[in-house]
Amino acid sequence: MSTYRVSGKGRVNRGETVRFTFDGTSYEGYRGDTIASALLAHGVHLMGRSFKYHRPRGPVAAGTEEPNALVGTSRGKGRFEPNTRATAQELRRGLTVESQNKWPNLKFDVGGINDRMYMLFSAGFYYKTFMWPRSFWDRVYEPIIRAAAGLGRPPEDLDPDRYASRYLHTDLLVVGAGPAGIAAALAAARAGAEVTLMDEHAEMGGSLLSDPDVTIEGAPAWEWLATQLAELDRLGVRRMTRTTAIGYYHQNMVGLCEKLTDHLDDVPADAPRERMWRVRANRVVLAQGALEKPLVFDGNDRPGVMLAGAAQTYLNRYGVKVGDRAVIVTSHDSAYYAAFDLADAGTRIAAIVDTRDTPRDDLAQEAKRRGIDLLAGHTVTGTSGRLRVKSVRVARVSGGKVTDGRAVACDCLLMCGGWTPSLHLFSHTKGTLKFDDALQAFLPDYSAEDCHIAGAGRGLWGYEATLSDGNAAGVAAAVALGHEAQESRIEVQGDRPGTGVTHKELPTDGQPGRARAFVDFQNDVTAKDIRLAVREGMRSIEHVKRYTTNGMATDQGKMSNINGLMIASDAVGKAPPQVGLTTFRPPYTPTTFGTFAGYHRGGHFEVTRKTPIDAWAESHGAAFEPVSLWRRAWYFPKAGEDMDAAVARECAATRNSVGIFDASTLGKIEVQGPDAVEFMNRMYTNPWTKLGIGRARYGLLLGEDGFIRDDGVIGRLAQDLFHVTTTTGGAARVLTMMEDYLQTEWPDLDVWLTSTTEQWATIALNGPNARRVLEPLVEGQDMSAEAFPHMSVAECRVAGFPARLFRISFTGELGFEINVPARHGLALWEALMKSGAQYDICPYGTETMHVLRAEKGFIIVGQDTDGTVTPGDANLSWAVGKKKPDFVGMRSLARPDLVAPGRKQLVGLMTGDGKVKLEEGAQIVADPNQPKPMKMLGHVTSSYYSAALGRHFAMALIEGGHEMEGREVYVPMPDGNHAAKITTTAFYDPEGERLKV
Amino acid sequence: MTNQKHDFPWVTIEDLAPDARFSLRVGEAGRDRAGLTLGLSLPTGVSNVVRHGERAVVCLGPDEWLVTAPEGERDAIVEAFATIYDQTPHSLVEISDRELTYRITGPAAFTLMTIGCPRDLSRLTPGRAVRTVFDGATVILWRDAEDAFRLDVWRSFAPHVRDLLDTGRAELAAGL
Repeated sequence: MSTYRVSGKGRVNRGETVRFTFDGTSYEGYRGDTIASALLAHGVHLMGRSFKYHRPRGPVAAGTEEPNALVGTSRGKGRFEPNTRATAQELRRGLTVESQNKWPNLKFDVGGINDRMYMLFSAGFYYKTFMWPRSFWDRVYEPIIRAAAGLGRPPEDLDPDRYASRYLHTDLLVVGAGPAGIAAALAAARAGAEVTLMDEHAEMGGSLLSDPDVTIEGAPAWEWLATQLAELDRLGVRRMTRTTAIGYYHQNMVGLCEKLTDHLDDVPADAPRERMWRVRANRVVLAQGALEKPLVFDGNDRPGVMLAGAAQTYLNRYGVKVGDRAVIVTSHDSAYYAAFDLADAGTRIAAIVDTRDTPRDDLAQEAKRRGIDLLAGHTVTGTSGRLRVKSVRVARVSGGKVTDGRAVACDCLLMCGGWTPSLHLFSHTKGTLKFDDALQAFLPDYSAEDCHIAGAGRGLWGYEATLSDGNAAGVAAAVALGHEAQESRIEVQGDRPGTGVTHKELPTDGQPGRARAFVDFQNDVTAKDIRLAVREGMRSIEHVKRYTTNGMATDQGKMSNINGLMIASDAVGKAPPQVGLTTFRPPYTPTTFGTFAGYHRGGHFEVTRKTPIDAWAESHGAAFEPVSLWRRAWYFPKAGEDMDAAVARECAATRNSVGIFDASTLGKIEVQGPDAVEFMNRMYTNPWTKLGIGRARYGLLLGEDGFIRDDGVIGRLAQDLFHVTTTTGGAARVLTMMEDYLQTEWPDLDVWLTSTTEQWATIALNGPNARRVLEPLVEGQDMSAEAFPHMSVAECRVAGFPARLFRISFTGELGFEINVPARHGLALWEALMKSGAQYDICPYGTETMHVLRAEKGFIIVGQDTDGTVTPGDANLSWAVGKKKPDFVGMRSLARPDLVAPGRKQLVGLMTGDGKVKLEEGAQIVADPNQPKPMKMLGHVTSSYYSAALGRHFAMALIEGGHEMEGREVYVPMPDGNHAAKITTTAFYDPEGERLKV
Repeated sequence: MTNQKHDFPWVTIEDLAPDARFSLRVGEAGRDRAGLTLGLSLPTGVSNVVRHGERAVVCLGPDEWLVTAPEGERDAIVEAFATIYDQTPHSLVEISDRELTYRITGPAAFTLMTIGCPRDLSRLTPGRAVRTVFDGATVILWRDAEDAFRLDVWRSFAPHVRDLLDTGRAELAAGL
């Protein structure tokens, strides 16, 4: 079907073709192909334009480390993804692929002008060019730079896919299912360990999938592989494919991203697209292998120039030859095997260019046997070809001189600069690395976690070495887990061992200053940029990285970091470890936001707590507001009412007759035990010893610093039993604080705390008719003013339900709070509504509650206080027991700064005509005409319209406010300065006459 | 007792009718007496459960137990503990209405639990229960059998937990 497909090669399913489109053209590939392998099979190398210079680019690798072949993919409406790696994305039916960073099209791109002007765009170009005028940066330069930067277009629709997550606990997690990982998993599983083996590819095998010709334990590689995988399954090893270990966190917590549906033609209903696994492993084996390095020379980025190992993978795994006439340039033995495999599959190898003077004998013989021209001690100094490489210029290197340059025609150039052990995950653990002078590579040193590193990931090469090392790691892990196991050597015939040397940029006979020798393909960073950065003063690799952006693309420098370091260390004149290696951070490969969000999106984004009466409020048209995690009824608008009108009506109805309010969210804590009263005395500012059974009191809770933390009404139900209420938002915090003191400061006290917040539904009735509504429903309690005065509590029955009944008031009106078991909350509400119908009972929400309490000067903790307000500041000195020996915060109340004059104190604020609503949060000044910056005296904390007062009113925290009563201050607002007079906070019924009924 | 039942071959999620539930707090000195009052011996060691008739008690902390019993035994338990209070100070707080309970059963029940609970559930052997979190909400997680779990969830957090259980069940049905 396609020119470059090689019969008899590859693991793709030739029985099943898959159609897809690339930039509108329809192509056919096989099941098992990636986008890249399928396009290469059609001879298509050009897959995108580069980030900065818009240079034509094709795939350079065959895995997730790919920096060039990044494409946009779509699975339909809302399912567009930019920067999909064409080398990793499997084909699926109907896959739509588009190239990126080009206009008007991939072959002719206007942005390519950047490439001709490359001398202008050197490292640090932005910082040097766009300096003047300063004011242009924010509005002109930065927006233009940002618009020009970036690769691919961001998705615009809401992501319609589902994402999942799970926790997994396992004895041994093996990351990477190449030869070392498989050997490790097998050794541990055979010893009896419970093992999880995972790999980012669609199938397991790693490098063995690209090397079918080696013989392991007497069997051809792929046969051996199939046998091992079958045994793993038999042993019950959990095998996960298409799964990337994205991060390695403390105490062997490893995050895995499993891609579930991106490769499927048809996605089952309700199937998640990806799943985040949070794995806690007793031991971890990292068998991530090594990544091949490019060589750095002029024109090393043209389509058709790729890693030798990638070409070998395309051939053996996908059955695709990447060209008809190849030149190999290498500093490592591994590329010879790629050359041999390609030659045997019919690609003409025009030359093997080895940068080393003396190639290995057996390899030279093999090359000779195939008639391949071997150029030892040579370099490549450039390439030609616009959209595809056409030739490569090779030259001899002797005594530091580059001579005898000549062009060799080719349609692909396969390079190998050696291999970098993949230590990203190890680096996440803060394990230390050690530079190995022989290998010229960083290897793992000290490990902070219970992990083993096996195979090419620690610098080993050749199948026998890596397989045996994997076996040893598996055995070590099994032994650490308490199993018995023995190491064994795994024998390999026809092995492909190898060594190599590491280079900075290759020597050239051209002008180094004009060379386009790329180090970081994804960010378009050249060797020249790195040398310039060093010349301009960057010495640490961290500075070089940020100045040049080398390694800062989404591939995190998988291919570029070591080459960048070699060049920088040469330029600085220090050994590589002295220049340093940048830190890798999670995730290992780019990961969707959806995977991190998991189930927490839309309605499930965060818990929304609802009271038992919430359904009634919803069906009666309530507007809601969030209060901590709760949603609470805010107000109940009638037809045509806005919020102000509804609140004014609710306030008036409550003050004139009766209002009903859902207070179920109030925190409730049962304090019980022989030392309950002593505990209460120590926690709260108020005295509790003399509080009678059946009586209630306002309680004030401070922090150790003397500032108000919480408040609420507390009832004494028995000698040893208190029913404590807290603010809605403070419920969990107060219980935690109490437990903290009880367990750490006063473990001798015999008292226990139990949260009953959700045991009870709480309904507040307020207004002159409250008793008339309630009394007919009450059994077992005399409701007369004499028998049940203000600040009482009783256990009785209300509407037939067992109840804790309080007579208390947060409105200044006759008030009751009825607590019944939560399951009865709605039924009680409905009974009260029915009983109150003759009094036009009015349901009200949190806004009316706020207004009514403010009219009485009652504070809301967190609104009228801000964590720096003392009881005295908030006019609550009366709630502090003067004769108590101690309570939390008592000593702090005597600190000099807490008794000093000029503290911010809570006062009332009245504008002249009462028509202006001061903004909550507005600043307050003494003189609006003073020079700027003005002295701020404080701010408005609460501001409402009062139906009872017929005007607006406010509360504020003002420096020395208590001494300023009657003084005029100014509140600057968007529409001008407003004068306001300082008053007390007792706005309504200051004598409390309305409670005396 | 089952109010509502959703069936899927691999996992079933049910809303259970309320039991009588109490939080029992008592010091070491009163532990035996408190157990006797329930007609059993209070379990020691967090996560251990002791059953007596239809009553079950799980140890949640060194001085903390959760007592469950049929609703009909509620008043008798309250009265029995009231009579021992003077000699054996303790705190018995009724929390029957604080939590709602879901039962999750079926071959995929274990997997369904792992979408929300970070604990190693293989260590929660059948017959035990622990206080833990499920999708961020505090829960009491009972493992009644190899593939049978119960979740006691604070009432207002319950719909959130239920929503994830339903999502998880659909995910399991999709087979991926």
